[in-house]
Amino acid sequence: MAQPVDSSLNLSPSESAAPAPQPPSAPEMQPSNGAAKPSKPPKQQPKQAPNADSGPASAAGGENLSPAELKKRAKAEKQARRAKEKADKEQGGAAPGGPSATASAKKSSSGGGGGAGGKDAASGAQQKGQRHRRGSAQAGAQGPAAEKKKKQEDKSVAVFGHLYGQPRRTTVAGAGKEVHPAVLALGLQMRDYVVCGSSARCVATLLAFKRVIESYTTPLGTSLPRHLTTHLSHQITYLSTCRPLSISQGNAIRALKLEISSIDPSVPEATAKSTLSDFIDSFIREKITVADQVIAGSAAQKIQDGDVIVTYAGSSIVKQTLLTAFKQGKKFRVSIIDSRPLFEGKSMARTLAKAGLDVQYSLVNAVSHAIKDATKVFLGAHGMTSNGRLYSRVGTALVAMSAKERAGGVEVPVIVCCETVKFTDRVALDSIVVNEIADADELVINQPPQQVTGIPDSKAAATAQPDTKKGGNKASSQTSPPEPNLASLNGSSPLANWKETPNLQLLNILYDVTPAEYVDMVVTEMGSLPPSAVPIVHRMSTNL
Amino acid sequence: MAAPTPTAPDVTKPFDIVATYNELLRSDPDLTMPIAAIEALVLLLTHSPSSTISETLDLLEKSTTHLKKSIPNPIGLSAGTDLFQRYLITTLQRPGQLGPAGDFNAIRAHLLSNGRLFIRRAKESRDKIAAFGRGFIRDGSTVLTNGGSRVVASLLQKAADEKRFKVIYVLSPAKANDGDASPGGDVEGMETVRELRANGVPVATIPESAVAYSLGKADVVIVGAEGVVENGGIVSRMGTYQIGLLAKAMGKPFYVVAESHKFVRIYPLGQYDLPIEQHVINYQTAEDIPDGSKQQSLAHSSDVVDFTPPHLISALITDSGVLTPSAVSEELIKIWF
Repeated sequence: MAQPVDSSLNLSPSESAAPAPQPPSAPEMQPSNGAAKPSKPPKQQPKQAPNADSGPASAAGGENLSPAELKKRAKAEKQARRAKEKADKEQGGAAPGGPSATASAKKSSSGGGGGAGGKDAASGAQQKGQRHRRGSAQAGAQGPAAEKKKKQEDKSVAVFGHLYGQPRRTTVAGAGKEVHPAVLALGLQMRDYVVCGSSARCVATLLAFKRVIESYTTPLGTSLPRHLTTHLSHQITYLSTCRPLSISQGNAIRALKLEISSIDPSVPEATAKSTLSDFIDSFIREKITVADQVIAGSAAQKIQDGDVIVTYAGSSIVKQTLLTAFKQGKKFRVSIIDSRPLFEGKSMARTLAKAGLDVQYSLVNAVSHAIKDATKVFLGAHGMTSNGRLYSRVGTALVAMSAKERAGGVEVPVIVCCETVKFTDRVALDSIVVNEIADADELVINQPPQQVTGIPDSKAAATAQPDTKKGGNKASSQTSPPEPNLASLNGSSPLANWKETPNLQLLNILYDVTPAEYVDMVVTEMGSLPPSAVPIVHRMSTNL
Repeated sequence: MAAPTPTAPDVTKPFDIVATYNELLRSDPDLTMPIAAIEALVLLLTHSPSSTISETLDLLEKSTTHLKKSIPNPIGLSAGTDLFQRYLITTLQRPGQLGPAGDFNAIRAHLLSNGRLFIRRAKESRDKIAAFGRGFIRDGSTVLTNGGSRVVASLLQKAADEKRFKVIYVLSPAKANDGDASPGGDVEGMETVRELRANGVPVATIPESAVAYSLGKADVVIVGAEGVVENGGIVSRMGTYQIGLLAKAMGKPFYVVAESHKFVRIYPLGQYDLPIEQHVINYQTAEDIPDGSKQQSLAHSSDVVDFTPPHLISALITDSGVLTPSAVSEELIKIWF
């Protein structure tokens, strides 16, 4: 999510005709100048100094590494270089500006020029900014000390090392020509958490695929059941480079592919296509829409007058449950626990408060307070694993465990609302082996106090208030790129230059696993189950 | 069936499902609540002149809700009615002679005969359970049990034929002190105690307050249940929960003996989440009590139940085998889907 910052960093010098060619690493160094406001020529001088300073410093830091660490580092570098080459190839192939634009962006950030070039430059710079320190590839060509320093520290947290795959795609550049525009858009929306939440992503994917199927024509010499699956695979690959697929998406795609392959090749294309879109519609209806209603109805029965319901982050199904219970005239309080950096509970709190419920909102730091007068805990799910464990937004396990430990595990029931489409036959023993890592830069950003919705506050931007946030920048950078940069440059966050700080790693993990002992009941559209019954129901619902 | 009269009320009046149910329970002490409910429903079908499927289902639905409403604790009963309704629907949905296309009279005859078969099988299931459960009572061990469960009684009787063991029987505190001296029918379980003693099994009766004291001498706890709920916990006579907690605290195995027709499709989250109204806890000041003694007896009436959560239960001994609590939901799902 550092992109907007970086991109404007690159653009602003070129637009303001930056005087002196900057060292290649300058864009990334800039955040370190805490107070620097405008990226004007005079200000850039002081910037160089810290760069120079930090270079040797971290180089020195690198010196006392043990041989084993050196070896590890070399390995990481090699890996990073490969990833870089791969990404370059991908990026270069499709970018309008071609290699020259990328190169110019890298070499002196003044190259950009046109819109396309600028975009490319932005992505080039982003890549440099990624945790893999892919800059190392250029190091050979340019060789400055600053570049060398970059590869010295692997910024991925060791225990979760296996989870750092390719960094998330940042643009549509490089996407295959087979990828449908609807899917292109969806990919970016999912990446930016515009479409967020397991069910929402599943529905959005299916709807996008419906459009793909509608505009699909079978090429000559092949049949729809055979070719459409591979055609969809391109879309799926693209989506998964934007953000790893959720369990529900995986299940939905599997069902869709099965349906495609079961189509008789002799059926006319139009008929087959309408069959498929009917299938998608009924899948969404049965597995999500109606399922949600059933779940909300039966979970709402568990809410009684006088209850204090604790919930974590923003689950659409929990929201629906609470609203259903409220409409039934039940008198209860809701306590929403939320956390950085996504703040998914805010929109839930607002919706519930608007509907007239009694809502309390607190962050996860205050969980022990919020749980004190709780009588029930309702949780949403990203998935349920076959050993009955709940795989959900990071922090869920903490809330569930606090609720259970508080009263000896008897009095505060933890209820999970989950559609069966989120069940998986995988088994999770911990939250390390399977998880998803988001861009660590999301953690650096403080949300501006005035920003609840993600809608840019134009006033704040105009007065150049300290809106160091990513969320703010993301939106406002589209209208006036240079301004937000200035604000972001003032680095009010101590973590702003974490990438340059030796021995500092940031971990932005997305999910955690709640042991089955901490879950009392799973409400599904097929009834209420103990977590141990998840594999049985999963088997039944997939066999049907 | 006998005399189809033009007005519906006339038909239903002679057959009172609640009275039939109560009568059945009274006449046969071996009958459990779910079975009595099923039998009452079968009788209802024989008496009713309905000739279409939807009419039958409708009648069934109405009588079931009526029955449930008029019985103070319908948990055990609803296991039976739900099961019967489910069975009816699946039979009717099945294609073939007995399906929706078939002759309704044939369907009805089939239903009635099958209903009777079901009742007979249910009674036999106690022997099956005794066979499964025998292994849990070892030679020379001491069993702690409570309540007046007929399944537990038959299990202990069967085990007494081939093993030597001792029994600690928890009786309601009011009568437990003068154990055998009390008039037999009054105390739940006294009947079993006498039969066991007649069979040469040494039995000690203790009040509920002495459970923790006596549990150290017991090797295993075996209890009956009124209903087995979806998460594997049990709804059982008041006092079972505390025995479960004590057994867990002392590390003694806690077994539940129950027929599989007692599996109910409810999912209580705790003591106060049961679908029945119980007035166990009555807050009162001196002014609230006109004549003090009456309120006391309410809390100890034999109808009150509590919920024992699954984590306290070591295993459930049923006629479909010995199950862990988590396997109960699997069994229930098999029945329902």
